[in-house]
Amino acid sequence: MSSFSRSAQQWATFARSWYLIDARMQPPGKISTMCSIRLQGKHKPIYHALSDCGDHVVIMNIRHIAFSGNKWEQKVYSSHTGYPGGFKQVTAVQLHQKDPRAIIKLAVYGMLPRNLLRRTMMQRLHLFPDDDLPEDILKNLTEELPQPRRIPRKLSEYTQEERDAFPRIWVPPEDFRMK
Amino acid sequence: MAARCVWSTVSGVWCLASSLSRGVFQKINKVPLICAGSVQCRGIRQVVEKTDGKTTTIEGISVGASQWPQPPNPEGRCPICRWNLKHKYSYEDVLLLGQFIRSDGGMLPRRVTGLCTEEHNKIAICVKMAHRAGLLPDHRPVLPEGHVPKPKPQLNRYLTRWSVRSVKPILRKGLKWCKVRMPVGDPCLKNNVHYSLKPVYMKH
Repeated sequence: MSSFSRSAQQWATFARSWYLIDARMQPPGKISTMCSIRLQGKHKPIYHALSDCGDHVVIMNIRHIAFSGNKWEQKVYSSHTGYPGGFKQVTAVQLHQKDPRAIIKLAVYGMLPRNLLRRTMMQRLHLFPDDDLPEDILKNLTEELPQPRRIPRKLSEYTQEERDAFPRIWVPPEDFRMK
Repeated sequence: MAARCVWSTVSGVWCLASSLSRGVFQKINKVPLICAGSVQCRGIRQVVEKTDGKTTTIEGISVGASQWPQPPNPEGRCPICRWNLKHKYSYEDVLLLGQFIRSDGGMLPRRVTGLCTEEHNKIAICVKMAHRAGLLPDHRPVLPEGHVPKPKPQLNRYLTRWSVRSVKPILRKGLKWCKVRMPVGDPCLKNNVHYSLKPVYMKH
């Protein structure tokens, strides 16, 4: 803000902020791109790769993430333990049941630059499967980011007036009996 | 709504008169009236009795439809064309999709709704996607009595093309030139109106 004093303006520019994202009914890929941009600091005009200008990101409700398509069954996470016969392939469903944070963690890890700063950026990412956050993190939060995907409304969430206001598209014949 | 099915035929009145004079409760045979475009079976009618002196009239009044609003394009062949919704709906428009489904979630037949083939198929696909996304929670199939469903993992999903139980995991993803893609959405909706610069992306 231009009304700040010089020292306050500098402090506001270089401070490390804490962002909150609600991942309920959101695709994990879009959440992860938003995270990786803010963890690197690319959303700031003062960005430089060496200047460690990334922010903290807190994601909540990870258990209620929504994949598009049939990715829950089709997406496979592979790893190898290093020992012979140690190639493990796990579907997204199984991985989510074993550890709900793993999907987002792997997605963000793959989107960050492949350098030594990646591990420090991952330490600044805080993942919570449900919406109960610890107090010290709640105190640090500065801004909540808007959700990338618009959640469609269920039929039960529409009021009776909205349902009546929507016109009937077809007229049933008189002899028709609705089951 | 005016009474549609007054039994004005002579044989019908004679049957009534004879049954009333006998004073015995008998199951009255319904004489089917053949009106334009109707099917053999009749709908449910409300029975109303009116007595004018010595004449008793028993009428079956159909529960009539109120005045529906006029569609903006009355020359259309199917309801979707008549309401100008041809490429404009998706799986999220539950108010529209809910008009074409039964209470247990299945689609109504095409000969009843009057939809053309391609629109019927599109709406069927959108209804399936809406069911899988959990947008129609009150239209669940009726389970047999005493049947306890197995605890399944509650996963949120949207734009699922294939049935959940039928899909196999992609164990070998392939190289860049022969990647095995994960389909999202359905190609029947590829002509939908969209106002973004990016095309609709269906092969993730």
